[in-house]
Amino acid sequence: MENLVQNIINALQWGSFYALIALGYTLVYGVLTLINFAHGDVFMVGAYIAFFSATFLLTTLGLPGWIALALCIPVTMILTAMVGVTLERIAYRPLRNKGAHRLYVVITALMCGLILEHANLAIFGASRKAFPQLIAEHVYTIGGVTFTNLKIAVIATAFLAFLFLHWMVTRTRVGMAMRAISYDKFAVPLLGIPLDRIIVVTFILGSGFAGLAGLLFAMSYPVLEPYMGALIGWKAFIAAVVGGIGDIRGAFLGGFLLGAVEIMVVAFFPSTFRDLIAFTVLLLILTWKPTGLFGIAKTTKI
Amino acid sequence: MLLSIENLCVKYGNIQPLHGITFHVNEGEIVTLIGANGAGKTTILYSIARLPPPEAPRVISGDIVFQGQSILQTTPSDVVKNLHLALSPEGRRIFGNLTVWENLKLATYARAKEADLGKEYDYVFTLFPRLKERRNQRSESLSGGEQQMLAVGRALMTGCKTLLLDEPSMGLAPVLKYELFRKLKQLNEEGMTILLVEQNANLALHLAHRGYVLDTGTIVAAGTSAELLGNPEVKKAYLGG
Ligand SMILES: Nc1ncnc2c1ncn2[C@@H]1O[C@H](COP(=O)(O)OP(=O)(O)OP(=O)(O)O)[C@@H](O)[C@H]1O
Ligand SMILES: [Mg+2]
Repeated sequence: MENLVQNIINALQWGSFYALIALGYTLVYGVLTLINFAHGDVFMVGAYIAFFSATFLLTTLGLPGWIALALCIPVTMILTAMVGVTLERIAYRPLRNKGAHRLYVVITALMCGLILEHANLAIFGASRKAFPQLIAEHVYTIGGVTFTNLKIAVIATAFLAFLFLHWMVTRTRVGMAMRAISYDKFAVPLLGIPLDRIIVVTFILGSGFAGLAGLLFAMSYPVLEPYMGALIGWKAFIAAVVGGIGDIRGAFLGGFLLGAVEIMVVAFFPSTFRDLIAFTVLLLILTWKPTGLFGIAKTTKI
Repeated sequence: MLLSIENLCVKYGNIQPLHGITFHVNEGEIVTLIGANGAGKTTILYSIARLPPPEAPRVISGDIVFQGQSILQTTPSDVVKNLHLALSPEGRRIFGNLTVWENLKLATYARAKEADLGKEYDYVFTLFPRLKERRNQRSESLSGGEQQMLAVGRALMTGCKTLLLDEPSMGLAPVLKYELFRKLKQLNEEGMTILLVEQNANLALHLAHRGYVLDTGTIVAAGTSAELLGNPEVKKAYLGG
């Protein structure tokens, strides 16, 4: 029993990272039907931005850890959002305006991701970076179950991010416009809505939360390297697809599902089996429901 | 002159569907464009709404002038926001994944700062009571006629003063068609300028003040509705004898 609760907490924490990243995949896909393969690397860039701002705030300015963290969150989110918006602006928008086929846009996204990875490698070298400790990690033990303040914060952040995005998409005009674009892009300007502005908002949201995930990931696993976004990005993408890409509930659930499967596998099998079994389970889910758990067969997304 | 189209030529890729179109709409008028399938009616409305290629054409020569200013450089969202000109497009193009109410609310995107939009919803709901009954229903589950009402209602919610309508009666039963046309007349009497594209030339000419007849990208006849209704060639080609 204790073991189960422990595993659930671990699964929620691990799944939170997938969920936060998957939300960005699904938002962009929902609006543009573009699989933004650079998104995992945007997460990596977010972790590096967090690293540099945390180091600057702690060491150069000598601020106390919790103030540095409070500043690090908005700085990382804003700067990472700017990276996402820049990709949209210089890579995706020109293709969209030329009416390029989706395949070219997806390939462009893949290349953007590789460019981010290798630019990082070229500029900062292959050596790993150690993320500084911003806040002391407290370990709590209740009835044999241990968790840390950081783990709880990670889980809470993922839930808050989801609730915020869900509110945004269902209740605000901008969110309605995002759903409208996914249904019929052509008719959106007819209502006085600047299409490109809504698309920019989509990238701001997706990349901002990827940046937040990068910060939390770096705090939880404080070793950074240029390829850290690749595998986790692919997995978050798969999580989004399994949940039903284009639907934010799907991305959220898919992220936690993947987290849970991975943790459970490790609990019962040698850890080298983790990805093999996790991907097999996801494959079975997709075979059973090819549109994902929340997916609708039609073009309607988000 | 509120809107004036001057010698307009446009292209879709290499296809040129309009060959020097000139016509105008005065404030407070209902003007109708009639013509056979493929004549270029939708193309004209897309050009005025400044929608982007590839689905809409690009202007190669001529001008579109609104209130004395060329609008060729205006973005489609600014046409709605700043010129208060809205298009209810052919095929309705409502957002089927949104509810009726969300479709209407979305149309107020550019007017979010205006305090009292309640009156505007009420206006649309009085015009089309059906929409009120179904306001929380996903709009793709509306009947064709109801969807058409939503398309018109949505255009009205943008706060437009000039309304472009592309075949608003398409797919409507005759009773609903007459009802819609009565409502358009009412709108016009309250000050709305309307440019109407319609398959049903007879009905359109009975509603409109003036009309233009379009044939493969050229205007072949123009005049008041009475003149066009009495024109033997127009009668023969578009009014069924
Ligand atoms: N996206 C497009 N690409 C290429 N050609 C087009 C496109 N849209 C329309 N056309 C062509 O332009 C011409 C005018 O089309 P348009 O849709 O304006 O006609 P219409 O008068 O509205 O006809 P209908 O009464 O059938 O709606 C047609 O010959 C059509 O084939
Ligand atoms: Mg047409």
